[in-house]
Amino acid sequence: MQGYIYPNEFELRWGLLIVLYPYLTGLVAGAFILASLARVFNVKEVEPTYRLALLTALAFLIVAPLPLVAHLGHPERSYEIFLTPNRKSAMAMFGFVYAWYLMVVLLLEIWFDYRRDLVLTAREATGPRKWFYYTLTLGATDLSDRALQFDDRVGRWITIIGIPSAFLLHGYVGFIFGSVKANPWWSSVLMPVVFLFSAIVSGIALVMIIYLVATLFRSKKVDMGCADKLASFLFYAIVVDFSLEMLDFIHRLYEAEESIEILSQLIEGRLFVSLIVLQIVLGTLVPLISLGVVSPALSKRSIARIPAEVRRLIYLGCAILVQIGIFSIRWNVVIGGQLFSKSLRGLTAYKAELLGLEGLLVAGVLLVLPFLVLGVLVKILPPWPDTELPASPEA
Amino acid sequence: MPQQVTRLGIAFAVLAIVFVAVRQTLVPDTFGDAGHYRAAAVDSIEAQPLKYAGHEACTMCHRPIADKRSASNHSGVSCEVCHGPAAEHVAAPGNVRPRAPRERGFCPLCHGYNASRPSGFPQIDPVAHNPTVPCMTCHDPHAPEPPVIPGECRACHGQIASTKAVSHHAVLPCLTCHDAPEEHKATPRAVRPGKPSSRDFCGGCHAEGADSPPHIPGVDMATHGEDYLCWQCHYPHHPEAE
Ligand code: HEC
Ligand code: HEC
Ligand code: HEC
Ligand code: HEC
Ligand code: HEC
Ligand code: HEC
Ligand code: HEC
Ligand code: HEC
Repeated sequence: MQGYIYPNEFELRWGLLIVLYPYLTGLVAGAFILASLARVFNVKEVEPTYRLALLTALAFLIVAPLPLVAHLGHPERSYEIFLTPNRKSAMAMFGFVYAWYLMVVLLLEIWFDYRRDLVLTAREATGPRKWFYYTLTLGATDLSDRALQFDDRVGRWITIIGIPSAFLLHGYVGFIFGSVKANPWWSSVLMPVVFLFSAIVSGIALVMIIYLVATLFRSKKVDMGCADKLASFLFYAIVVDFSLEMLDFIHRLYEAEESIEILSQLIEGRLFVSLIVLQIVLGTLVPLISLGVVSPALSKRSIARIPAEVRRLIYLGCAILVQIGIFSIRWNVVIGGQLFSKSLRGLTAYKAELLGLEGLLVAGVLLVLPFLVLGVLVKILPPWPDTELPASPEA
Repeated sequence: MPQQVTRLGIAFAVLAIVFVAVRQTLVPDTFGDAGHYRAAAVDSIEAQPLKYAGHEACTMCHRPIADKRSASNHSGVSCEVCHGPAAEHVAAPGNVRPRAPRERGFCPLCHGYNASRPSGFPQIDPVAHNPTVPCMTCHDPHAPEPPVIPGECRACHGQIASTKAVSHHAVLPCLTCHDAPEEHKATPRAVRPGKPSSRDFCGGCHAEGADSPPHIPGVDMATHGEDYLCWQCHYPHHPEAE
């Protein structure tokens, strides 16, 4: 504590779990946008990650509301927001944005994309497995060319609807923060846009990490064309994201409202490590420069020719740094916005607890959980393009 | 129509029916009648047993105390603030006795020094004010008076006094700026002290060329702060020049 703060500002209301929540939804939106690159924009190189990106989005989407539920503290009442919707509350309407995105976008798209595989697996399998897969097909077992074409067409359309939905899902999170007019650190119309692009950055990086690590464990060869393309897109996304953030920053400096003094104290003191070191230097500049030099983002034959094995490692390193950087962004927004007093004359401090519902332990579990969910999903719905499918009887 | 569409249609229809059914059974009947809440909640709150009787109920049996309190400094403090909810006592005075807060820790809940309390509200430091002796020894809780009239302004204006004590004006006694008659200390609301009312008052010490010690900073009264009163910019009990 330092300077003058009001008594009710001493303790932060929104802790680690609320940091986690925009981080997780961001990954969902980002992974989905990546999938749409393959599906709608026909970027052939990233096709190997298409299904993986969809499953990643689903796994993280399932976990995304859990930090909120844990923070609010009455999980058994959470369904009531659907039963008695409060149309005036932006927070309550999230329930519907979430439900739309889960039911109408992600599940449907995955279902249409996997239907053929599901039907073939169901025909092949025996016992409970057969019934399980048969249930997943919902009984739609028609595999004629017309039906498959229909699947493909609908899948494309859902992705097209899905892109604005993904924007909505994460832009909405930025909206919640951006519309708190009493808080000069949050209140900014750029907030939803900045959130969105940082989401895309984190989603691409995440799918890249999962793809690289998973191929390693499956002792398969990494498709370098795909990895290079991912790295290039990651580079472009970081450029846009960073420019937007700088725009926001310069805008604040130029406006120089009365809060500017306390905010600069905040940046120079409390947030120095998480904002300057982690977010800007390690999370943005280092990956930006390495990817610019190593990946074929700037010129067809990348600036520095580096053997594939080393390039892969650099990509992996960059993607991990990006994750740390994006997590820092969420931290700086959520925690940073509560560290200074409304009197604009004092700063408080945040100390995360270890145990307890909002502690480090729960946050750690919630970070690992999506990967476990993803593991299960991958078992049920193998996303690898090289997986042998049971030969279809027609063939 | 493709098979997928019919199957999905069935699945979504089932979901929708389940949703509507769940909503029908779980949303309380009166929800939304009067706003975004269960209107019948008002009835359930109304049905809760009364705990407080209100101070008028006490008068019937405790008239001497009630009259005494009404004429005292505690006229605005209701009986049950100190004695706790007493509806049961009113119903059966012989069986249920309200508690009487005799311990020293109780009165400082209101009278302990706290900077956020209004200036002039009687406040004491419970650690230093006649320690260990119960408050009732010297103050009647139903008609409290300071046994002697406080000598210092600090007794009632603690916040101002302690602010001023660490300011540039620490050396100035209150009476330099306020002509406070002695009666103000006995009946503070009836007899009010004066307050400076013009720029020239501060100028008496701070005007350039004023007849005051040289270490006191001077300002050009004609231009400094224009037409505003000095205390619209400087808090007189803690003046800052920034
Ligand atoms: C119907 C008459 C009646 C009413 C109304 C009544 N009281 Fe009493 N009260 C009594 C009687 C009688 C006693 C003495 C009981 C005893 O000594 O056993 C008493 C005793 C008390 C005592 C003393 C307890 C003690 O430990 O010495 C307090 C305090 C008190 N009442 C407070 C109140 C308050 C506050 C109210 C109003 C909410 C109230 N009473 C209303 C009849 C009443
Ligand atoms: C500021 C707190 C306070 C308020 C307000 C207050 N009391 Fe008391 N009351 C006390 C305390 C403390 C005692 C114990 C006095 C003692 O033991 O010397 C007490 C004692 C009593 C007693 C029993 C002892 C006696 O003096 O006969 C009665 C009866 C009583 N109060 C009734 C009332 C009633 C009726 C009211 C409202 C008109 C009231 N009180 C308001 C604090 C309060
Ligand atoms: C609910 C808050 C409250 C409680 C509890 C309370 N008082 Fe008071 N007291 C007041 C108020 C209000 C005044 C009137 C202040 C004014 O005139 O500005 C007052 C006035 C006084 C005064 C007169 C001071 C003066 O200089 O005029 C004394 C003495 C006093 N109380 C003593 C006590 C004692 C002793 C107790 C504990 C039995 C007590 N008070 C409990 C609120 C409370
Ligand atoms: C030994 C007697 C004695 C005891 C015990 C005592 N006081 Fe006082 N109290 C005084 C005297 C004398 C004054 C007036 C002079 C002064 O300010 O010290 C006074 C003044 C006050 C005032 C008026 C504010 C002021 O400074 O003028 C309040 C309020 C007060 N006392 C509350 C309490 C409380 C609460 C307790 C119990 C924690 C308590 N007193 C215990 C003697 C006592
Ligand atoms: C017994 C308690 C008490 C003492 C002692 C006391 N005051 Fe006050 N004073 C009050 C109260 C009560 C008020 C009225 C506060 C209000 O109306 O908000 C007041 C008001 C004032 C005001 C503001 C008048 C106004 O019209 O706004 C001044 C100035 C003041 N006091 C100065 C002093 C000075 C100087 C002393 C010491 C010589 C002093 N007081 C001692 C209780 C006290
Ligand atoms: C340098 C001159 C000066 C001194 C010394 C001074 N005052 Fe004042 N005081 C003022 C002025 C000027 C105002 C009017 C401020 C206003 O109207 O905004 C004032 C207002 C007040 C008020 C009423 C407004 C309020 O803030 O509650 C009180 C009470 C008061 N003074 C008490 C005191 C007491 C007690 C002391 C001594 C500890 C003291 N003052 C010393 C200049 C002074
Ligand atoms: C009786 C003389 C006197 C009066 C009247 C007086 N002051 Fe002062 N003032 C002083 C003294 C003494 C100092 C402290 C000078 C020093 O720092 O050595 C001072 C310092 C100041 C300072 C400078 C603080 C700093 O940071 O250096 C300001 C501002 C100020 N007074 C404002 C006022 C205002 C406003 C009034 C009218 C309400 C007022 N003064 C009335 C004697 C007075
Ligand atoms: C519009 C706001 C305003 C008003 C009204 C105002 N001042 Fe100031 N005063 C300031 C500011 C700002 C400073 C510090 C910058 C400076 O020295 O000009 C200051 C500084 C001072 C200083 C310290 C000068 C020094 O050399 O350290 C004194 C003494 C002072 N004022 C007294 C007064 C007095 C007496 C009045 C009433 C006649 C008054 N002020 C009215 C804003 C104001």
